[in-house]
Amino acid sequence: MKLAEHPQLDALCAEYLVGTLRGAARRRFERALRDEPRVGLRLRHWQATATPRYSKMIEVTPPAHLWRKLERDLGLARYRQPWYQRSGFWKGWASAATAALLILLVLNGRNPAGVVAPATEIARLTGAAGTAQVVAQRGADGRTLRLTSNRPVLAGPKQSYELWLIAGPGRAPVSLAVLGSLDATVVLAQDSAAALRAGATLAISTEPAGGSPTGQPTGPVILAGQVNA
Amino acid sequence: MLDDKLIKVLLLRTASRDEGSALAFERLYRLCAPLLLGVARRIVGRPELAEEILHDSFAKIWTTADQFDVMASQPVAWMVAIARNRAIDAMARHDVSRVSSYHDRKGDDALDDPDGALDQLFDWSEAADEAEDRRRATAWLRDCLGHLQGMERQSLVLAYVQGMSHGELALHLARPLGTVKSWVRRGMANLRQCVETRMAAAR
Repeated sequence: MKLAEHPQLDALCAEYLVGTLRGAARRRFERALRDEPRVGLRLRHWQATATPRYSKMIEVTPPAHLWRKLERDLGLARYRQPWYQRSGFWKGWASAATAALLILLVLNGRNPAGVVAPATEIARLTGAAGTAQVVAQRGADGRTLRLTSNRPVLAGPKQSYELWLIAGPGRAPVSLAVLGSLDATVVLAQDSAAALRAGATLAISTEPAGGSPTGQPTGPVILAGQVNA
Repeated sequence: MLDDKLIKVLLLRTASRDEGSALAFERLYRLCAPLLLGVARRIVGRPELAEEILHDSFAKIWTTADQFDVMASQPVAWMVAIARNRAIDAMARHDVSRVSSYHDRKGDDALDDPDGALDQLFDWSEAADEAEDRRRATAWLRDCLGHLQGMERQSLVLAYVQGMSHGELALHLARPLGTVKSWVRRGMANLRQCVETRMAAAR
């Protein structure tokens, strides 16, 4: 008999969603889900009426090495566009190269290593859905921290963003910078640079213009992410 | 809250196996891995095992992305189901005596306080970007859960969040297997009936 005509179809959908349908019964249900459109339709109705969405509270950030392993195991490199083929790359390259040359000309002799130093991604700062995402990179000099937002975000006239470093669990946040925009380059003090290592957390809060009056975050934390390198 | 529309696009892009699919899959991972890991961790309890499940779940999502039903409106639920089922299977395979280990897991909110867990672990907010239907369904579901009998609600939360089997529920709640089974079945049936009644009344 087709499962779609099973008198207990609703009960089966319910048990499947709750997770108490086990073993052979679950495999049979999953086969039917693939082969019989009516079963899928019924399950989706159940899903829409009787299962809630999880909240952020349940989330656990995976350690960074997990993604690298997955990438290796699945051979994802084959499905990436090589950087030199990306559209706009050469177009951008011409102006970027000119700009880099200019900067080099201006700064050369002052800090030649710092300017061209490659940066490593050390954290991704995320927040509630709909907010921007920020990638944090550390310069090879270990003293510069660059924040790049996936879209431009500027603080309103009466507020500032403030960047915090939490060195580890239970440690008090240390202010790294007051920002007017989520795109920024921050030069770190020596002790902050030393504390910015794997396991630490970077967070951005909204504060009154000019930064937190107390030296600790007073407004909501809008973005946070763990340092993984 | 994860945006189903975006997730759907990323899944389709992943399935296309073109030059952009690795990037789409990476974004999918960045967005959804914390949720899937959290769901798995609740069920298996052990961090390393949960991470293994996360790895295998995303490997499966990568290989079966083309089987995702485009018409389905809930891609996140599809991905979560993959991780949940793997976590449940892993527990059965490892044959870990969970019920005894539950007693060592002090402070596990879903075990100590299933009703509180319901409010904390699930998102009942009415997101402004959602369709009116979905917003109302969320409110009805929360309300209807409140109308269930206490034991029905508790069994559903423990099975859904902790991945408890009927047998484990019976041990944990110290009730006969048949009683627990009917709580789960009746609980879900009552829940659906309650939500559907409200839906019909609103039309």
